[in-house]
Amino acid sequence: MKNKLPVIAFLLFFCCLIFFPLVFKTPFPRHVLIMVFLYATMGIGWNIIGGYAGQVSFGNAAFFGVGAYSSAILLVHFGISPWVGMLVGVLLSALLAVIVGYPCFRLQGHYFAIATIAVGEIVMVAFLNWNFAGAAVGIYLPILEQSLKNFEFHTSKLPYYYIIVCIFLFALAVCYFMEKSRWGYYFRAIKNDPDGACSLGINIRKYKLYAFILSAVITSICGTFYAQYILYIHPSSTMDLMMSIQICIIVLIGGLGKLFGPVLGAIIFVPLTELTRVYLGSQGQGMDFIIYALIIMVIAIMRPQGLWGVFSREARGTR
Amino acid sequence: MKRFCKLFCVVLFVFSIVSVAHAENEVRIGVIFPLTGSAASTGQVLLEGVKLATDIINNKYKLNMPLAATEGLPNLKGAKIKIIVADHQGKPEIGMAEAERLITQEKVVAIIGCYNSAITATASQAAERYGIPFLNDSSTSPTLTERGFKWFFRATPNDDLLSENFYNFLNDLKKKKNIKINSIALFSENTLFGADSVKFQQKYADKYGYTVNGTVLYPAKSTQLTSEIQKLKSYNSSIVLQTSYIADAILSMKTYRELNYAPDAILANNAGFNDPEFVKTLGNDANFIISREVWAKDLANVKPMIKTIADMFQKRTGKTMDGSSSRSFTAMIVLADAINRARSTEPEKIHKALLETDIKGSQLIVPWDGVKFDAKTHQNVLGKGIIVQVQNGEYYTVWPFNLATKEVVWPFPKWDKR
Repeated sequence: MKNKLPVIAFLLFFCCLIFFPLVFKTPFPRHVLIMVFLYATMGIGWNIIGGYAGQVSFGNAAFFGVGAYSSAILLVHFGISPWVGMLVGVLLSALLAVIVGYPCFRLQGHYFAIATIAVGEIVMVAFLNWNFAGAAVGIYLPILEQSLKNFEFHTSKLPYYYIIVCIFLFALAVCYFMEKSRWGYYFRAIKNDPDGACSLGINIRKYKLYAFILSAVITSICGTFYAQYILYIHPSSTMDLMMSIQICIIVLIGGLGKLFGPVLGAIIFVPLTELTRVYLGSQGQGMDFIIYALIIMVIAIMRPQGLWGVFSREARGTR
Repeated sequence: MKRFCKLFCVVLFVFSIVSVAHAENEVRIGVIFPLTGSAASTGQVLLEGVKLATDIINNKYKLNMPLAATEGLPNLKGAKIKIIVADHQGKPEIGMAEAERLITQEKVVAIIGCYNSAITATASQAAERYGIPFLNDSSTSPTLTERGFKWFFRATPNDDLLSENFYNFLNDLKKKKNIKINSIALFSENTLFGADSVKFQQKYADKYGYTVNGTVLYPAKSTQLTSEIQKLKSYNSSIVLQTSYIADAILSMKTYRELNYAPDAILANNAGFNDPEFVKTLGNDANFIISREVWAKDLANVKPMIKTIADMFQKRTGKTMDGSSSRSFTAMIVLADAINRARSTEPEKIHKALLETDIKGSQLIVPWDGVKFDAKTHQNVLGKGIIVQVQNGEYYTVWPFNLATKEVVWPFPKWDKR
């Protein structure tokens, strides 16, 4: 019985994933669901570097942007399928992670976080001024015939939903196997005591870099999905610092360094922002932001370790 | 497990969105503006413009304007306009989601919005997908009407046309005052706004046969412009076409004075030069700047209706009417007029009526020659900007000449002879 409960819970969760859009047939709730899983996936990506390896990154939006721009540029200028563009984006993001991570992981603690803010902003400014990539105007993706091959669907959101769920499950699987593997233990060792980990022979910089690359790859895939879903990208919608911070908040609300933390965070965070805006935002007095901020403050005070613990067994003291 | 159930109940509750029953005789129109975020204050003013227009349509007023004299839409048995407001927060994906929500859940028959060009881009995509007319009030990025959308219409003149206005103005002035222009220099900040403007200014200089001697781009948020302006001075052009935000606009004026640089005219590209702070900070040094605008209060001298509407606006909101609110106001009137002529709220019929729109300039509170959409791009072809000049610390319309309230002062007086 001891090991069956998580499996049952997960199967239940999986069934919900499949049947949710059949319950909610109008486009808006489906859009909210798509955003939930988009943010959950980005959260999982961030959790690997920020939660497991303990290196706070405020530059993950740069990977998101690189993913979005890689596929969009290849599609617009060279007519290459976004699926190929997604892979190219993944490679470029991994490369960017190495270029940024290699020097930056010499920095300790807060200084790494500061460096990632700078990197995120640099990438954004570069795209703002790069004419080939549409500069500040951005890129309008061509509207093609809808098909899985073209990665564009116009009459229904359902295909987008199932694609993002697949991406989400992939990211979850990566994170699950990472957590159970040698890497997972190394990452947590680096987070808890870098000097201790080093003395045990772990190459800290190498493993931090691995975590950063994994994180970049997952975030980049989300970027491509976003570009294909919204069909219009520009620097401030794809690589803004606010986005990096939102990803952070999602993981912190859900539970740092927990497999399902980002999922829970996104399930709470995204509908909350959407619904407060829909029901309170039209008066235009910022009421939605006030309530939203209040809820985050309450969570931060009542459960600083994130909400995941409330629903997991360890918090209830049962083993 | 019990807690899991609790969690799912909460989630299910959160997701269950209830749709509201609609009253019979009303025409629901979606309005999407940036009501929070960095453009919030403009968004509020835009919304007030739409609300005022709705009030005029729904009630009886004595104004020379479509639908003012009747209550509601006469061709739809006096149906009232009801606006459903949404906030896009300056984010493209929210603009798209809100447009979808308004269409599928709120059942709006048309949408007005969204001010920021980037959000108009995504929101109008959603409208295109569902086949709902989308009337844009104040996004000026030329690309928007080049996408070949069926359901997208734009009432405001775009940046392309507004840049061309400078050269129309110069040509008219040459004819009227017999002035000589040897060449033009372009001076601009280097972000999206400046870089794009320079592109159009260069394009039309070539088209109208003006020589551009040189272009100086400076980094936005500069604290020093001396070397840039010295370079500008060395071009020895009679006209400087300048694109700046408020801080650099003020800084450049101070530097012009310091370096005693006075070309025949400084033609400013709106933005910083039309900010209330500009005249307030510079006082008399702000005089004789010529700038482009989309709307000015003194247009009321030529079109008295403008004063009536601007006063109503002031009374309702305590704010002064401006280029944004006058355009969102106009968009609402244009859309309601089309729905009324369509005699129906079916999208196809509204689309056809929009294409047949022909509103005269005299019925508008904006300085356009009227509203008439191009059959292919759906851009309003009768839109027009105006040129204003600061004289004694006030902005006066100086072009087009038939709307002008003051004679243009030309050339720009030398700094020591003021």
